Amino acid sequence: MRPVAFAARSLRREFRHGELATLAAALVLAVAALTAVGTLASRVESAILASAAELLGGDLGVSARREALPESFSSEAGKLGLASSRSVEFSSVVFAGENSQFSEVRAVDAAFPLRGKLVVADGSGVQSVAHAPARGQVYADHAVLTTLGASVGSALQLGGHDLSIAGEIVSAPGSSVFQFAPTLIMNLEDAESSGLLGIGSRATYRVLVAGDAAAVERYAAWAGQNLPAMARLTTVAEAQANLRSAFERGENFLRLAALLAALLAGIAVALAAQRFARRKTEEVALLRCLGASRREIVLALSLELVLLALPACLLGAALGIGMQQVAFLFASQLLGGVAPALPLAPAASAFVVGLAVLFGFALPPLLRLRDVEPMRVFRRDLQTRLRRFDALYLLPLLVGGGLILLESGSSKLAGVLAGALAAVAVATLLLSLLLLKGLRASSRRLPGALRFGLANLSRRRALTLIQVGALALSLTALNLLAVVGPSLLDRWRADLPQDTPNYFALNLQPGQKAEFEQRLAALGASNLSLLPLAAGKLVAINGKPLRASDYAEDSRAGNWIEGEVRVSWSEQLPPSNRVTAGSWLATDPPTAELSVDRGWFELFRLELGDNMTLRVGDSEVTATVTSVREIDWDSFRVNFFMMLDPAHGDPLPHSLISSFHLPPGNAALATLSRSMPNLSLIDVNSILDRVRDIISRVSSAVTWVLGFSLAAGILVLLAALAATADERRFEIALLRTLGAHGRQLTAAVLGEFAALGLLAGAVAAAGAAGTGIALARNVFRMPDYWPPAPELAGMALASALVVMLAGLAGTRRIARTPPMRVLRYGS
Amino acid sequence: MTIEPAVVLSAEKLSKVVEGPDGRLTILEEVSLSVDRGASLAIVGASGSGKTTLLGLLAGLDRPSSGSVVLAGEDLGALDEEARARLRRRMVGFVFQSFHLLPALNAEENVMLPLELEGLDDARERAGSVLAAVGLGKRLHHYPHQLSGGEQQRVALARAFVHGPKLLFADEPTGNLDQRTGAAVSDLLFDLNREHQTTLVLVSHDLGLASRCARTLRLRDGRVVEGDQ
Ligand SMILES: Nc1ncnc2c1ncn2[C@@H]1O[C@H](COP(=O)(O)OP(=O)(O)OP(=O)(O)O)[C@@H](O)[C@H]1O
Ligand SMILES: [Mg+2]
Repeated sequence: MRPVAFAARSLRREFRHGELATLAAALVLAVAALTAVGTLASRVESAILASAAELLGGDLGVSARREALPESFSSEAGKLGLASSRSVEFSSVVFAGENSQFSEVRAVDAAFPLRGKLVVADGSGVQSVAHAPARGQVYADHAVLTTLGASVGSALQLGGHDLSIAGEIVSAPGSSVFQFAPTLIMNLEDAESSGLLGIGSRATYRVLVAGDAAAVERYAAWAGQNLPAMARLTTVAEAQANLRSAFERGENFLRLAALLAALLAGIAVALAAQRFARRKTEEVALLRCLGASRREIVLALSLELVLLALPACLLGAALGIGMQQVAFLFASQLLGGVAPALPLAPAASAFVVGLAVLFGFALPPLLRLRDVEPMRVFRRDLQTRLRRFDALYLLPLLVGGGLILLESGSSKLAGVLAGALAAVAVATLLLSLLLLKGLRASSRRLPGALRFGLANLSRRRALTLIQVGALALSLTALNLLAVVGPSLLDRWRADLPQDTPNYFALNLQPGQKAEFEQRLAALGASNLSLLPLAAGKLVAINGKPLRASDYAEDSRAGNWIEGEVRVSWSEQLPPSNRVTAGSWLATDPPTAELSVDRGWFELFRLELGDNMTLRVGDSEVTATVTSVREIDWDSFRVNFFMMLDPAHGDPLPHSLISSFHLPPGNAALATLSRSMPNLSLIDVNSILDRVRDIISRVSSAVTWVLGFSLAAGILVLLAALAATADERRFEIALLRTLGAHGRQLTAAVLGEFAALGLLAGAVAAAGAAGTGIALARNVFRMPDYWPPAPELAGMALASALVVMLAGLAGTRRIARTPPMRVLRYGS
Repeated sequence: MTIEPAVVLSAEKLSKVVEGPDGRLTILEEVSLSVDRGASLAIVGASGSGKTTLLGLLAGLDRPSSGSVVLAGEDLGALDEEARARLRRRMVGFVFQSFHLLPALNAEENVMLPLELEGLDDARERAGSVLAAVGLGKRLHHYPHQLSGGEQQRVALARAFVHGPKLLFADEPTGNLDQRTGAAVSDLLFDLNREHQTTLVLVSHDLGLASRCARTLRLRDGRVVEGDQ
């Protein structure tokens, strides 16, 4: 026997005969769906990243406090073929005549910005794209100009130097809520020669790089190893907390959709492969009888699979790329004109995953065919002895688990999904066993045809279990795609309602509170919140002085210890905060109480009951940690890592910080900042727009991807159902021969499929609801999400109906063919 | 050139005991026999008397509980499963009661199967000529479900003879056919047997068919009651 030739021949013959068509179709569909979803997801992701890079001003940033970064950080970028730009940020007071204003200054070099655009307006309001201002010039934002009573063309003083205002900043990369919102942009050389960056200045030095993604990655690795103390890397995705979580959610949605598509495809391939193996049993017995050796048979079967899989996976990948290209044409407007290159990695990984799923699910039953006894040609009932535990069964489990981990890119998502699916599988199996047992017990009381249909279920117990399990899993995936996914997306879209605060006011003095509130009310502001803010230093935990070196593993802790921390106080738990441990601050406690953000709590390895000492100005306060809060950073509200009880906070020197919503472009706001010159007004409209924009683009793209996976999933499900109907060919032909009439057949089939469909549909709806809740809590950070119960219940009924109809349609076809054909064709 | 021994197949005290649902069950007990080259042996007996079991043991498809089988000079007990498979491939052909054609292959391809297992290049021509010899020269590309039972069994006969086996095992080759078709198929079987000088071991409870064999061995409850011994 020449296995290759033999395998090729059997493949050709069986394919022509339609035996292998289901398997090939399932594989093509699987790889196509995976490729399309994976490629689309990756392109959407890179479009998102590209727009985030515009926000950061580059593809990667390195920043250091107080000390400039070594020259090597620029030269290394040059070596790797990356563009780089240096800048420094610091705060300073600017003067114009009588007026002064506290201002965030960003001094930039000529290359800035590497990504995105700096847009400035000249004196007559004409906007143009700019780079660093020339020496001796600055750009200032609207608020600064207004408070200083200055305009484009006039002069201002900064650190004792006269600078002329060359333009008004319309939009600049690197604008964010608090950290580095430049209100003034100047030339880097001016800043360096002015003495503004002398010892003791609280400047942050920054190097931005941009260029080829692989080179950026190599640069990041190099920078990570050569990072001075107090310096840190800022990747595009973490450029800004609000955006970061938008990206994360978007990414998780896309990955979820891709995973579910993969899962559905895997189920289809698994079912087809099982069927293939079952059909092969007779053939293997005959070949053994005719003298083929075990090795030859295994080799031929594996080769046949390879020969089938390679072209099927190739075709699938090609089809998938084509499909996503079509979808991308529609979706690309959503991505704001950024057209990321076509990535080939998702197609390649879909190809590999297709092979892995095929072999993972097909190989165990095929390898077991090795043990088919040749005597089987005489005695069909001769069972291949089943070992109670077969290590081969682990193969599909490993493939499935690996798939989930590989595609999810996030262990949380993978964990939730794997756990949920395992729960669905186990629940289905237990309920099915129960159902079968009940059927056996009550079968005598059922009418004839129905009894026959239901008896079928218990007779083919193993097959029934496999089918119900596969059905329940794929219906769960479909429910997730059709109901839970879209409702999670809706929740996300509703995250930033119309009256989300779009302005922040800093530096408000406690004495100005009443006036401020009154003026804002007059302006028609809504959603106003006012919180005290005290800036100070972390001194000790449980009396032990804090040193950055104690937290060497995480530079963020060091940054907080060396730098400034902000603390606030309030009687009520602020909105978008949730207490996860301990209880919220008491009113008027005898000793100071402190509530800490969960991330901080973990960063500083705190325990409830620990004492933290803060120094604010000349006063020191030691407070007991009594609660841990989970903060929703997407909310665009003012949030604090640390909150004191008001009784102990109020005596500390502090200012007030406010957030409120006002329709953008309100000119009256300028009068407010003029009459309260100490006030620092921050306009976050552009960031808010940006986040809204990202949410709407990503959610539209995700809707596409979900729809796509859904379509693929339905096809897969129908194919699987057609296959189960096929299993009944012989039986139905036999019943027909024995004289059963159409109505009896219909009743038998309906009874059988209704039982299957109802069970699988109900478990799937419950499973999808549970998965949705778990995903919302653990992956999408929407703790109060609740899946829409009526829709899921509807889906459960609809699934049962579809399963019944599909079963009926499949059997109808068979019932209409003369039984003789089926009987002759053989079992 | 080696001189081939006169005895192609012999069995010595073959027994088969199986563990059934109701305890141990002896289905064959100390059966001994021998068949000369070119001869023919019919195994007869009531249903359930152990005929198929014996045939399977003689062809090396199963292992006896005790006793030995020597096929073409090779002691089957001394060979492992793979070696027995190789031996079957070269020496043995089969005809079954239920034909056992592969449904996905057409007549020609079914007949080519044993030749392909041996990796022969002229498989197609040889299959064509043997199919012509069994009167199916015009049905080469028909699939099993497009053939009648008699025609299917003729394809099976062609497959059994196509690689020129020394020994042919047939289990109720006419059991699924009506009398006239059965007669035609058995005529064909004995013609081919003569033509190819094959040694034939045939199982049947059709005494007419059995009587066309040179010798008869009768089984009852797993024991030989008439014939060899
Ligand atoms: N693996 C097995 N396990 C249990 N019993 C077996 C097994 N194989 C055969 N038997 C039993 O051994 C007896 C002989 O079976 P065998 O198939 O050899 O009979 P047979 O003579 O070929 O009958 P028939 O003419 O009906 O084909 C039967 O009673 C059968 O049930
Ligand atoms: Mg028999």
